[in-house]
Amino acid sequence: MDFHYTFSALVAARALLAFAPLPDALKYSQQLSSPLTSYARLKEGVYLFSHGIDPYSGGLFRHSPLLLSAFTTLLPLKDPISKLLWTACDAAAAWSLVKIWRLRQRVGKSSRDGLIAALYLLNPYLFLPSLALSTSSLENTALLVAVAFACERRSSASILLLAILTHLSFSSIIYILPIFLLLTSSPVSNLASPRPFALDFKGLRKAVLPLVGEYFAYTTVLTAASTLVCGGSRAWVEKTWGSFFLLPDLTPNPGLWWYFFTEMFDHFRPFFLMVFSLHLLIYVLPITIKFQHDLLYATFLMAGVSATFKPYPTLSDPGLFLSLWSLFPETYSYLRHPIVTALIHLHGSLLLPLFNHLWLATGTGNANFFYASTLVFGIANGAGLIDAIWAGLATAIPVKDGDWDVGQE
Amino acid sequence: MPPRIVEIIRGMRGGGDRNVARLRRKRAITHLCWKSWPILSLTLLVTGYAWMLTIPSTLHGQKTYIDENALQPSQVTTYWGWTDVHRTDGYLDALEALRDRNASGNEYANYISTEFRKLGVPAATQNYQILTSSEPLNGTNAFAILSAPRASGAEAMIVSASRISMDGHLNLRGISTVLSLAAFLKGYSLWAKDLIFIVSDGYLDGMQAWLTAYHGLSQSNIISEPLTLSSGSIWTALNIDYPGHSFSHLGIFFEGLNGRLPNQDLLNSFQKISLYTGGVPVTVYDHYERGEFPDRDLADIPWWVPHAAMNIEAVKEYVYRAKNIMRHVGYQARGRASGVHGLMHQFRIDAFTMFAIPSAGPHGFHALGRVLESTLRTTNNLLERLHASFFFYLLVGTTTFMKIGSYLPAPVLVSTAMLFSGLGEWARARWAEEPVGPDEKEREPGLGTQWVQRKRPVLPAILFVIGTHLNGVLLFCLIASPWASRNKIFTYPFLVAQAFLFPLLLSLATTKTSSPSTTAPTYQILKSINLCLASTVISITSVLNFSLAATLAILLGPPLIWSGPGKYRHIKAAGYCVLGLGWLLLLPQEVQKALWNWEVLGVWFAPFVCTVYVPLVVQAAIATVLIH
Repeated sequence: MDFHYTFSALVAARALLAFAPLPDALKYSQQLSSPLTSYARLKEGVYLFSHGIDPYSGGLFRHSPLLLSAFTTLLPLKDPISKLLWTACDAAAAWSLVKIWRLRQRVGKSSRDGLIAALYLLNPYLFLPSLALSTSSLENTALLVAVAFACERRSSASILLLAILTHLSFSSIIYILPIFLLLTSSPVSNLASPRPFALDFKGLRKAVLPLVGEYFAYTTVLTAASTLVCGGSRAWVEKTWGSFFLLPDLTPNPGLWWYFFTEMFDHFRPFFLMVFSLHLLIYVLPITIKFQHDLLYATFLMAGVSATFKPYPTLSDPGLFLSLWSLFPETYSYLRHPIVTALIHLHGSLLLPLFNHLWLATGTGNANFFYASTLVFGIANGAGLIDAIWAGLATAIPVKDGDWDVGQE
Repeated sequence: MPPRIVEIIRGMRGGGDRNVARLRRKRAITHLCWKSWPILSLTLLVTGYAWMLTIPSTLHGQKTYIDENALQPSQVTTYWGWTDVHRTDGYLDALEALRDRNASGNEYANYISTEFRKLGVPAATQNYQILTSSEPLNGTNAFAILSAPRASGAEAMIVSASRISMDGHLNLRGISTVLSLAAFLKGYSLWAKDLIFIVSDGYLDGMQAWLTAYHGLSQSNIISEPLTLSSGSIWTALNIDYPGHSFSHLGIFFEGLNGRLPNQDLLNSFQKISLYTGGVPVTVYDHYERGEFPDRDLADIPWWVPHAAMNIEAVKEYVYRAKNIMRHVGYQARGRASGVHGLMHQFRIDAFTMFAIPSAGPHGFHALGRVLESTLRTTNNLLERLHASFFFYLLVGTTTFMKIGSYLPAPVLVSTAMLFSGLGEWARARWAEEPVGPDEKEREPGLGTQWVQRKRPVLPAILFVIGTHLNGVLLFCLIASPWASRNKIFTYPFLVAQAFLFPLLLSLATTKTSSPSTTAPTYQILKSINLCLASTVISITSVLNFSLAATLAILLGPPLIWSGPGKYRHIKAAGYCVLGLGWLLLLPQEVQKALWNWEVLGVWFAPFVCTVYVPLVVQAAIATVLIH
């Protein structure tokens, strides 16, 4: 079937789903939107802003001032418009994913295009947050479009989107290094033939420094614009970026941070906040160095790190990681335990809403139930990440069955 | 040491290079796992079922106790006396007069609300209509709210009686008790929570209409008047069911919709109060405790138990507990409320029904009033919602219960066995045994065989799985449609065809070209996914609704594990048809009840069976008849 028809059909199906009468509970589900991405809070902020109250003076609104200004001037924040916008963003993200695939394979089109688009648009981890109008869907779109531009070597567009992404979601800074290096290399699969990075240090400095400069220029402009939107007040910095390291809102989410910090004595808080924040960053260098021959794969692994360890995750984050997996079929035969990962994911994703319900709706469970389910989910994401790293490395050592075996030293 | 173990250890230890030794050890462990896989799976399955059989035995169980200190059950002097009994008798006379002239629900409600008002308690009525696919239900609820003299009324407790008892008779004595209690309780200033008195019309329907209106929910098929009186959040509720003339015991019924149970502290407090304050023994349901009527104990024992075993105490205890558990599973697995109280659980209200077991004596209004007064005093003490004791338990006797840890392993072990079989099937799909030799001509019979790796395409199998579940959704829509309830006889063959034969034939119509030596057959992958999925469903359900999980484990365990092609594949497929859809023909009453429960009360048992259980069985049937 022609890819264009498949793609249109998928997008139409998603649009229908967006306008279907779905339960309201979806909008407030703690799995689908975090305090930083919730649509209800965005609406609240826009309402306060348009009534002349600084939304950052309270503790409720933690979205970027850019979203605030966009939804008060360009687009009114009405449900039908938002539904269309979110569906369009998902369509753009799926389109970018297909484009990345084509660039990686160096083909004009392939028989796998439709499948890749379907794996993005029909992935429940991705479309449920999108139906809940969580802004995490917009962040995913920004990332995928940025990566697609990077694969095309359109550096300015890519860096602009990257600057917007890190502005919206500060923990996305872990993508900067692999994407910058991707801009100076190629997206074509080199997993089977690892080799050192093409440029030496000098060449790298020459190639990357202008990109870094450009990134900082965009970031400065965005920051200035945000401050301008807030009437010169810098309160938004603490309320938006600050919440990524200060974790002020302990509303439950499917991640690993919130329960840990609800249980913590206050005098340990700063130390552990530092540990958790740094922990997210320590993966960047090793993974980028190890996968310097295939930086698209490194970017994919960063999505896995982010899904597992970021402070305010929603289901969109693991969803992005799983959907990105469709770009790397050459690693599939080297996966060690795909069915186990899939089963833990199945258990985790069923237990999350169930235990949330037992705790908060029927009242027969308690917070520990939901915490246990987030641990199962964390293990599922971790298992996926570890297996992805293993398979990415093992692709370089093709072993026929028989007398050879690969062990880990 | 046995030689086999020595051999394994030697294989693990290896010699020479460290890395070689490690690889050899890894292979030895893999080999051991692979060899013991079927035995492990079978052991888990057998252990799971054996555990299930031990659940009613005295191996498990412990005495009940009160966990929440605030409750202080049976620690108050009660004041309910014969004057109050006399007043109750007066209400009963008036209600019996209404019954004798065949009064409508509306007349009852008007009489009751008038009486409440005469007592000086604000009262109101609520008309409702519930539209169902069969016939609409109309009725009128009467209720009154006595404001707490000592507190702001942020919390409330319910005393309720439905007009129809759970045994189908009129619950006139229950209603008169509620009326008389209102008169009596009004005289005391110690209430810290509002008291809500409800006399709901019908059996379950009236209370559902009242509760949805109270909690501001709109249910599309209920048209009801808004309530004119309101109060705070409701913590506890006591429902009175007193259909007979007198009673010998008070039976507790506690299962709520969708398998939710009330906090055990409430039941334990009631048991203590009833026994020590009211002098009325408590039973679980209407099952007399063992030893109370020795001849009845024997009647419960099935005929095939040897005569010598019948008089062993442990056997009698086993039979008594098994009877309680079976009754519990009957309610909980189907998500059914065992009484009017069950509707309240969905709103986080801990509630149970006290059923006055009809008998010639010796108890009546005097004992019941005292028990109610003291129980209300106990729940009045609560400073926060009941949370200390257990929400997950099996009440195997009046004062004996089982913690979740002692019964949950049974279904979880069975589901683990299914998971292991599924993973084993997945590993088997990977390998094919091939004769040695690069191509056909050079093969010689003496060379033996070698194992070759195969591809395992999951997409076709996943499409089968998604397709059967979507087909299950369609099946549910068809069964629930008014068209199906009108023409039962004609629709059943059609439904069997839709849910079972159609997917089977469609799967047979698919073709596959690749050879079995390079690609794993679809049926093997489908079986693997089917087992893993069923295992997940069972273990996830077990934390929500143990009875349903155990029922699924019993029904699905062996049939799904032993699916796959074989000699009698067509007979097996017919067996799956009976297992999956037999209820359609054999239990038409059950189907109607389950649908009614879904429509009116939102019990998800009916959709669960159609969209989860039936598709799982159909997948096993497809894995059995598929040839590629």
